[in-house]
Amino acid sequence: MKFDAELMDSLKELANIGAAHSATTLSQLVNNQINMSVPDIDLVDISRVGDLISDTITTMVIFELQGDVPNGGYLVLELPGESAARMAGILVGSIDTDNHLHEMEQSAILEVGNIMISAFLSASSDLLGFIMLPSPPILVEDMAHAAITSLIAQMTMDVDEVILFRVQLNTPDHDISGNILIFLEVGMLEKIAARMREMVAG
Amino acid sequence: MSLMPAGTDTAIIGIGEYRVGSMPMASIGLGSCVGLILHDRQTGIGALVHIMLPASQGKTDRPGKYADTAIDVLLKELSRSGSSPANLIAKIAGGSAMFKTFSGNLNIGERNVEVIRKLLKDNNIPLKGEDVGGCVGRTIFYYPKENGKLVIKKGDGKLSEL
Repeated sequence: MKFDAELMDSLKELANIGAAHSATTLSQLVNNQINMSVPDIDLVDISRVGDLISDTITTMVIFELQGDVPNGGYLVLELPGESAARMAGILVGSIDTDNHLHEMEQSAILEVGNIMISAFLSASSDLLGFIMLPSPPILVEDMAHAAITSLIAQMTMDVDEVILFRVQLNTPDHDISGNILIFLEVGMLEKIAARMREMVAG
Repeated sequence: MSLMPAGTDTAIIGIGEYRVGSMPMASIGLGSCVGLILHDRQTGIGALVHIMLPASQGKTDRPGKYADTAIDVLLKELSRSGSSPANLIAKIAGGSAMFKTFSGNLNIGERNVEVIRKLLKDNNIPLKGEDVGGCVGRTIFYYPKENGKLVIKKGDGKLSEL
């Protein structure tokens, strides 16, 4: 399928609305103001994924995209550095900080991811008029590149390029930042593109 | 920020890419992907390919992306650089299952490793070292001039050498 500038702009706007809802829920969870970046949307050759996503160890909450379109793709909430531990600290109280999240902290992070990504998808579903739901989340603490490229490898279509959405959220008072990354399967992209064109046409 | 910053002379091999030569080479963050090294013990030249999927299913435009086409193209390129297949050894790293619980778990990492092992055997190339499987990411550095040393940094912080 072709990705013209108009389609990329509408996808960006969709991500913007979804991410704003995620930011609002995060703001309520940590009771703090959230700054949100303008979403990036890039068409990335698979050989260049490493330029955008490094092998730094990070905490990721990963969802399969389900709903009206099965196997829609993947959503990832990435919490770099100490962000995951800090966020868990706010929610379940501070547990001594070694390098790994304890079980309670992991549950808290999974729930944060669930709430934020559900808000994102609920807003997007309302706008598009079809249902998008997150799978139960899984937590991965490992190299970002290893997890993300494994997701790309298990996409149903054998692709040479992926569309990568990225939105950064940041709470200045707690020094917590998060990135939402989204990879959509071609079938899902086509469905969204068709719906967006209908909406633009009025 | 990389776990082990590559030198400026290090060639970074992205998914589906390969290089042949004597410069240091690296692939970052292998998950289900596999880094395959074919090293010539006589010339100190070798190749690194970053394989993503087991089977090309007839596609030819990115030979480095698939296990079956990757081995063919490396053997061809190494022969062009003056390597004899009899002098080659192989090392592999990667092939993890990063997510155990997803419904779409296709064991791609495991299948990548299986196909590579079989094709190495078919081509009579001895597999001299492997660090594969598990559920951990790996960044690898290959040094052709240091007897084909392969340094592996894992997502759990462990460092090893093949």
